[in-house]
Amino acid sequence: MVTFKAQLYAWRSVIFALFLRELQSKFNDKFGLGWAFLEPFVFIFALSFFRSILSPGDVHSVPLFIFMMIGLMGLQSLTTCLQSVSTSIKRNKPLYAFRQVQPISAILTAGFLEFSIKVIVVALLALALYLIGEGFAIHDPLLLISLFALLWIFSISLGLIFAIAAAFVPEVDKIKSMLTRPLMFISCVFFSLQDFPEKFWPYLTWNPLVHFNELARYACFESYGDKGVSMAFIVEVTIATVFLSLAMYHITWKRVLSR
Amino acid sequence: MIKLENLTKSYPSKMGPQYIFRNLNFNFPTENNVAILGKNGAGKSTLFRMLAKSEYPDRGRVLTNKAMSWPVALQTGIHPQMTGRENTRFIGRINNVTSIAEYEEKVQAFAELDKRFDLPVKNYSSGMRAKLVFACCMNVGFDIYLIDEATSVGDPLFRKKARLSLKEKSEEAGVIMVSHELDQIREFCTSAVIIDDGKLHYYEDLEEGIDVYTQDADNKKSLK
Repeated sequence: MVTFKAQLYAWRSVIFALFLRELQSKFNDKFGLGWAFLEPFVFIFALSFFRSILSPGDVHSVPLFIFMMIGLMGLQSLTTCLQSVSTSIKRNKPLYAFRQVQPISAILTAGFLEFSIKVIVVALLALALYLIGEGFAIHDPLLLISLFALLWIFSISLGLIFAIAAAFVPEVDKIKSMLTRPLMFISCVFFSLQDFPEKFWPYLTWNPLVHFNELARYACFESYGDKGVSMAFIVEVTIATVFLSLAMYHITWKRVLSR
Repeated sequence: MIKLENLTKSYPSKMGPQYIFRNLNFNFPTENNVAILGKNGAGKSTLFRMLAKSEYPDRGRVLTNKAMSWPVALQTGIHPQMTGRENTRFIGRINNVTSIAEYEEKVQAFAELDKRFDLPVKNYSSGMRAKLVFACCMNVGFDIYLIDEATSVGDPLFRKKARLSLKEKSEEAGVIMVSHELDQIREFCTSAVIIDDGKLHYYEDLEEGIDVYTQDADNKKSLK
């Protein structure tokens, strides 16, 4: 009989091995691991920077530069995590020959790797803000941290759902890229929810990313306000997604292996 | 002994599920080195992967208390972009070997790759790959080694070495092998299991099994 502790230990060693393997195989070109941090950093920093040069000023009391940065960070976290996690089942297919490697390990590894990269990107962005003299005091750090954690749990579960769906219907991958593209425009990345007339809000607030972005700005600047968005919605959506994804995984994982 | 209980396995296809085994009950012997024989598409590899638990049946169970290796085929678990050493360390890690450094050394010596051990596997020939996978497998202590034609590409010297090390282990370990090359099976195995039409038949004497297997093929040919 295998004890629970032994199970956990075996799991840990598999995920650790997969993690190292992912690092070694993903970044073995000349740029190496640095590229993983640099690319999203440059993307977010440059886009925010140019936007703030074009129209300097504040958006509802948040400096535009920081406003953009928060929105892009939320968007990038969701899309890159979704992309990486949802392809991880297929990517690690040859490894399921080892019976200790199960698809969920691949999912967790991919999610954790993306998460670690983004944490470093956030640190780089904070450092950059400090160095160019744009530093600010975060109003509610705990809220910000819990938002970030929830965003990642949500993204990984969403990725798991897409990964399972793609294992059965490969066309899902194409639909996924079509679905994620408009996210840039409807997730309050460039504009605040407050810029829209209140009667159009229901068309935007179904999207949890709107809540994540707006609340993250509120967590940084209290004066920004949290009108129209709620933490309760985020928690509900996250719990529902986690449950749905794990339930789907539980009933399909053995069939996913033979596909 | 590996017990197959009520095993049903099918693959989905455009024409509905294709059944390979239906309610199969069988005691798979592991005391000798066993060869799995059968026509193409009879379900050799499927059975093999289910024994290794890299695939699961639709219904039913595979019961055993032996430590089984992964199905050692040409490509399993080897990442072409990573070096032989990195691949070895990965396999060592997920199989919980006690000392990775020691394991690495043993594999390097066994696989006879010398300095090329530190080159990416994509630069290896298929024979070198087979040696690497085989060496990785042989240096983890399993009760049963599952080998899927991996030895067929090795040179005769390596095959001899492989056979010797398997023989050395045969005190406490068994081998289950899938291959189409009868001389290879004669080299490694002493008994046979034949898959025919979703049923398994065990022949304790390998030659008897091979006779039935080849005659079966001849009979079917003459019927045409």
